[in-house]
Amino acid sequence: MTRALLCALALCFAGAPARAQFDHAKHAKVFPSCVGCHAGVARAGAPLYPDSAACAACHDGTVERRVPYAAPAESLRTNLRFSHLTHVAKAPRAKCVSCHQDADTLWMAVRAPVVSRCLDCHGIRTAHLDAPDTACATCHYPLASAPRLARADVARFPEPPSHRASGFAGGGHGVLANAGTPVAASCATCHSRSFCLECHVDAPERPQIQALAEDPRGDAIAVTLQPPVTHAGADFLRTHGAASRLPSATCATCHTRESCLTCHVATPAVAVALHSAEPGRGAGAQLSRHRPAWHTADFQRHHAPSAETAVQTCAACHTRRDCLQCHRPDAAGAGAYHPAGFLSRHPAAAYSRESSCNTCHNPGQFCVSCHKSAGLVATGTLGSGYHDANRFFLAGHGVAARQSLETCTSCHVERDCLTCHSALGGRRFDPHGPGFDAARMIKKNPEVCTACHGTSIPTQ
Amino acid sequence: MIRARLSFLLAVLIPGAVRAQGYRLRVDLRGQAVSYRGVTLDSVPVGDTVPGVGGGPVTPDGIAALCVQGEAYCSFYRPGAPQRSDPVSTTADFTAWGFGLPGLSLHVLARGGADLGDAAVSWPGTTPAVQLLEGYAEYAQPRYVIRLGRQTQAAPIGFTGFDGASATARDARLGLDATGYLGWGLADASALPVTSAALNPLDDFQPVERQLVAGAALGFRSAPFDVRWSYERQVDRRSDYFVSERTRVDAALRPLAGWSLTASGMYDLAQALWGNVDLRLAWQARSGRADAAVGVSRYRPDFDLWTIWGAFSPTAYRSLDGSLDLVPWRALTLHVTGQVYKYDPTGASAPLVDVQSSGWRFAWDGAYTLSARWRLDAGYHAEFGPGASSRGFTGGAAYALGERVNLSAHAGTLDTPLEFRVDDASVWMLGAAVAYRPSGRWSLDADATRYAENRKRPDAAGFDWNQLRLSARVTLYFGSGTGAGGVPAAVGAMPEGPR
Repeated sequence: MTRALLCALALCFAGAPARAQFDHAKHAKVFPSCVGCHAGVARAGAPLYPDSAACAACHDGTVERRVPYAAPAESLRTNLRFSHLTHVAKAPRAKCVSCHQDADTLWMAVRAPVVSRCLDCHGIRTAHLDAPDTACATCHYPLASAPRLARADVARFPEPPSHRASGFAGGGHGVLANAGTPVAASCATCHSRSFCLECHVDAPERPQIQALAEDPRGDAIAVTLQPPVTHAGADFLRTHGAASRLPSATCATCHTRESCLTCHVATPAVAVALHSAEPGRGAGAQLSRHRPAWHTADFQRHHAPSAETAVQTCAACHTRRDCLQCHRPDAAGAGAYHPAGFLSRHPAAAYSRESSCNTCHNPGQFCVSCHKSAGLVATGTLGSGYHDANRFFLAGHGVAARQSLETCTSCHVERDCLTCHSALGGRRFDPHGPGFDAARMIKKNPEVCTACHGTSIPTQ
Repeated sequence: MIRARLSFLLAVLIPGAVRAQGYRLRVDLRGQAVSYRGVTLDSVPVGDTVPGVGGGPVTPDGIAALCVQGEAYCSFYRPGAPQRSDPVSTTADFTAWGFGLPGLSLHVLARGGADLGDAAVSWPGTTPAVQLLEGYAEYAQPRYVIRLGRQTQAAPIGFTGFDGASATARDARLGLDATGYLGWGLADASALPVTSAALNPLDDFQPVERQLVAGAALGFRSAPFDVRWSYERQVDRRSDYFVSERTRVDAALRPLAGWSLTASGMYDLAQALWGNVDLRLAWQARSGRADAAVGVSRYRPDFDLWTIWGAFSPTAYRSLDGSLDLVPWRALTLHVTGQVYKYDPTGASAPLVDVQSSGWRFAWDGAYTLSARWRLDAGYHAEFGPGASSRGFTGGAAYALGERVNLSAHAGTLDTPLEFRVDDASVWMLGAAVAYRPSGRWSLDADATRYAENRKRPDAAGFDWNQLRLSARVTLYFGSGTGAGGVPAAVGAMPEGPR
């Protein structure tokens, strides 16, 4: 907020309208006092600068050459709260040279006043921008009371070091603003309400913000809302729900209800308590939905345990429709779960189960029906011709079948296998392998046994 | 205008006493144009066949033929005219609330589809034309939720759909919840009952009645630890025998910030066999610039007891896999993943056929954000294992034309040697896509991809499979009440692909 000081003082002198410069030193022997020309310094109503006629008394083209001079017609682009008359009245012993000349210099070696002189007299023993946050208003008008400052001037206000301190943006500035009138007045030196609205969603509920005047130039000081350190943890995304329900939560400062709904598909109770975006409130944190850190690259294939143990967590951001996008894929849907061109490479992925196909695809509805259209089913006549890379594939297919039985069933039906693997006829090849528990099967569903064994189901 | 018409329609259809105070409706319209190889059934006298590359009978021009002992003719599929499919579908997701009873809502998720292409073929999933994925009434209170109607239990024990009732009770303070459900089941991964002819295109054995589904789950959640036990049984109503009976335990442990350990195990009670088991350790850097995971797992397929497949003793495989994500600098993301796996002994000797019993897969991909408008990505994958292998490159570029239009182009190569057949192929893919998001009310996506295939089969059956595949998707959002943008933008903003 005190950034205005330096800029304002610079503007006070350097920012004046361009005109012919008066060389004070060159006229040192002509003028014995300052107020001869600058009468307004000591006398109310008198002009601060001399009229050009005063110059013409000498510079008449005869005694001296004519010079182009015009007294400044406009007040300066500054927010400096300074009055020569007041200062003269309060410090009658002060001289012009106290501020306008360096020590031990010749008469009329005039220079622009430096801020340190102001600070010295006002008892501020720091560098300009290190001045206490209570001190700005001593020398500066509030932004709203400095109408001649352009947006560009405001944008160039220097940032005091105190504003760069850790925690200042996150909450430190609020503590200061709450401290009382002197500080609040200092804030107003550089800031108006529109500056606060760059971040504060709760601006209408903040008396300190409402106490500031509205001035559209305030947001010329660009500010980027940075997430506070509390949001930086790897687990913050997962744990922020619990934190937001704490009485001490300050979510409403930077977040609108809509910012919750950026990710949350339901309306959490906390979100309901937040303010909705509307005029007069800051936009707050602009969020975008992204994959949480724990949704690692392979999460899509391995999300089952997480989804199962904490489905409420999933439901915060996902609807059941999201699940059904993959688990019951749309017939005309373009690839979502699978990458582009997956259809071309799905045989390899399906053979060795890159992922479990039938979690999302019903084999009959998806695999077999499509293979049937392409002539890739066994009940037609292509049959063993598909496995034509090996002459004896049929005789030795057992290993492949047990390893990839799901793949077999995408082209073959039970009848194909029962041709040989049935106790009722055919070649009576025993299909049962490691881990087969006949007794268990009979107990749970003996009907399936009858497909091969008829009514003569072995007990072992 | 559309909203007004919809409101009018709802007002007419729903009696005033139960008229909802709020609703959300999302309509998804999708269509594709796809062509694929056609085949024509033909026959050849047995005497005209010759031994093929693999030793089996082939036609004189090299097409594999099936010769049945004792029959005079062998049959085979000759290349036919290209087949064309134009599947279209509409998915409507409707939620209504505010019926005068706080917590009561109605949910409907339905899909209509048809294949507008050649009548000879039907694109998978388009029959029957209208399918109700979900349709239930829900009464939700902080401590319990009750649902009645067609619903799904999205659980690893099985993505179970049923027509019935479910109830969940929970205590958020203690982190406990319990769920139970009961109903008439739907087929796995389908909105259709197991009796539907659409699930049985080859006229195989099929149940004559829908199964009964019953399940229960208990869960505990806390900051460092979650655990959940679930159980489900499906019973054949005609015989009262089991169709399936499974139980599963899932757990997640987060001992330190950024670290998680998840584990799951499923046991098939019907066949007394362990099913899928998974143990996974994951780590994320606090900076978000790196994450890694390593896991061991066991995969064994589950078959319902009304098929004979379970009696064929499908073999499990065990795998070790890992993945690594890196963001070396803000514009670049890299991802590497790999897996090795090995099947358990099958107990089947096959001296005549050499079948791999182990395999591996590896992939990397990366994306580089050149600017706010440009993004490039590239990747490679290779896999080798029993039955089939493949490898290929992919790459693409995306350009954001303002905030509403996204253009992209992608290309890829693919080589697919297949172990069990003489049918190596290489494929080139080249495509372009556009995404248009004019507002929160609707969006448009379209994609066109050309596939050029060189099937390296040394006979007449090796004909190519070139095609242009077109797809388009329009999504419309309607809604009322809080967040009147309809369904929250978040749903539409979800990434479409794996990464």
